[in-house]
Amino acid sequence: MTTAMERVMDAIDIETYLVCNDANEGKKLALQLGQEMNLGEIDIMYQEFDGYGVRLRLRKYIYKPGTMYKYLTPEEKA
Amino acid sequence: MSKRILCVPFDPVHDVGIKIIKNELDKNGHHTELLSPDLSPEVIVKIASKGNYDFILVSRTLGYGVAEMLARFVDMLDAAGVREKSKIVIGGKPITPELAAELGFDKGFGEHSSLEELLAYIEGREVKQAGTGLHRTKKDITSKYDYRFKHTEIGSLLDSIANKLITFTADKTSPGVERAKIRAEIFTTQDEAKKKVLLSDYYSLCDEVIVEGNTKKNFVKGVREVTAQEIINLNSFLGRSQPLNPYKIQYNEKQPLLFKFLGSGCPIMDITHAKVCERYGIDGFLIINPSWEARYEGLLQGCLTHENDGTITSFENIKLMRESLDESTLLTVRAHRGLNTPETVLLAGKAGADLAKINLVYGSLGAGTDPVRLAVDGVEAIKLAARYNMPFDIPGNDELSGVPAWKTLAGLLINVMVGIKLGAKPILKPLFCYGPHIVINGMMKQNFIDYNAAKVYALREIVNAPIWPGEPIAFMTQSEERVQSANATSYHASLAASTGVDAITVASTDEAYSRGPICITSRIDSIRAISDAFRFVGDAKFATTSQADYFTEDLINKITSTLREVDSKENLTAAIYDGLLGNKEDGAYPGKFGYGTVN
Repeated sequence: MTTAMERVMDAIDIETYLVCNDANEGKKLALQLGQEMNLGEIDIMYQEFDGYGVRLRLRKYIYKPGTMYKYLTPEEKA
Repeated sequence: MSKRILCVPFDPVHDVGIKIIKNELDKNGHHTELLSPDLSPEVIVKIASKGNYDFILVSRTLGYGVAEMLARFVDMLDAAGVREKSKIVIGGKPITPELAAELGFDKGFGEHSSLEELLAYIEGREVKQAGTGLHRTKKDITSKYDYRFKHTEIGSLLDSIANKLITFTADKTSPGVERAKIRAEIFTTQDEAKKKVLLSDYYSLCDEVIVEGNTKKNFVKGVREVTAQEIINLNSFLGRSQPLNPYKIQYNEKQPLLFKFLGSGCPIMDITHAKVCERYGIDGFLIINPSWEARYEGLLQGCLTHENDGTITSFENIKLMRESLDESTLLTVRAHRGLNTPETVLLAGKAGADLAKINLVYGSLGAGTDPVRLAVDGVEAIKLAARYNMPFDIPGNDELSGVPAWKTLAGLLINVMVGIKLGAKPILKPLFCYGPHIVINGMMKQNFIDYNAAKVYALREIVNAPIWPGEPIAFMTQSEERVQSANATSYHASLAASTGVDAITVASTDEAYSRGPICITSRIDSIRAISDAFRFVGDAKFATTSQADYFTEDLINKITSTLREVDSKENLTAAIYDGLLGNKEDGAYPGKFGYGTVN
């Protein structure tokens, strides 16, 4: 039985807004968010601090090119 | 058989949705009656019970308390005996089959339901499946062009420049040309012993790293063979496609075809992405190879995957991609980077690709190949493109180094004339970009429209040839912010549609993000944005200002003077070495790969 995570075609993008004091804190919180969501290390694709917080686009690759894509295995067919 | 249907807008104001449905039902031969939108439930029930309807079609958008109201309404219809003679159906944006059943309706249709589903229900038949195909035919971008030069001086200068180049390369060869010849022979020979000899000859012209990879499977770091099981799994995925009407991005036939890059490194990932993009209406793809491939003499063979940027352009990889795509989908292969240009075009032709990407000038300026080597290899590659009836697309990406647009366009036109003389079908690919030279000189201070449009207008005034802006459009206007990136792409796509070009290459909303491969959701983002933009623009146009006319004239004048200078040189390669099509100040340098390898 595959997990939903294994059915992700390539990556999960998270878009959110974190309330924080400055861009540095925003960055730390963004990375912490990845940990709290059990995504491990995530990448900050885009970050914009506006005085109240940061608008974020975060990415976690589930599969990178050249790896085995579990959603393709026949026994795991939907 | 025709049905009698009472259409009920169960809403104090809105009846647009049910009106559209009524029109469609009428067109399909059914008898409909449409009530006004402000009737009370009691009045509607009275009308429904008096008439002899097969269906009572209720339309309503849900809001607070509406579900309860609808349930009461169904009870009233039941009490009046309407259900004994009529099916009671609800339609509306948030309606699901489950909700419709819960409220007591016989059937419900929501925003994802198709008209065909409703018709099938009304007519008591199975839904006609759309099939898994794309219902489109392959387009030939070049078919409506005769390549006539309207600007006589430019035509005449190009004629001279192309003749000198072809003469210069006529008695020359290179390891790249020779390898292509050997590979062509390997393809045709049935004699295994001869094949072995030919392969040995081939390897004698390759760099060690390529020989090691092909003979000992000792590949460049990050490269491995795709396993047979992975191919089986891929085929299983390809066979899994559910019947669905594919999206159409273009709102009318005049809007350009859309191409996307493939080059994740892994052909399987590329194919899964491409198949999804096909369903969203993408017309074609460009295979982008790894940058290291350009540096080596020879190409790796086999179905190979790569952990880093760029998909290896082996025959097997191209063939796998071609065979996995719909027949109507176009595929182009980047050939002009590096030392394998003729061989790449040969493999593309043999594997069934539709186009090859070749630019003799950009390949020697921004892409690192020695100008003499690429002249010899490029001419051979264009001949091969002609032999395999593959039009070749000529990207103007040297503009991204800082080369002024007129020099880049002059380079594109030189390729066009060489192509015409060699019997090929070239496609001009000016950049729609916010390039360094444009930024520094403030050509887009007023807007992003005039200068981009002027490139198309200038080329149109010079030659009757296909135009395909790229590569991708909106280059250097996109950020890593998703909405901004999608918008930038869609605006440039609308401009492209406004100028009536034939095709465009479009980015994904993570194109500006360089720390990982492009992901499928980002591909879909930009497709949806363009689709909306094309609907918005329709057959209208983005208007240019008078500045575009000035830019057009200026570009034509500067292209002419650039070509005069190029023609004053011994041949194109001398002009490139002398910086006439891009110099150090522009940020362009003649490439070094393959220097001294031409015999």
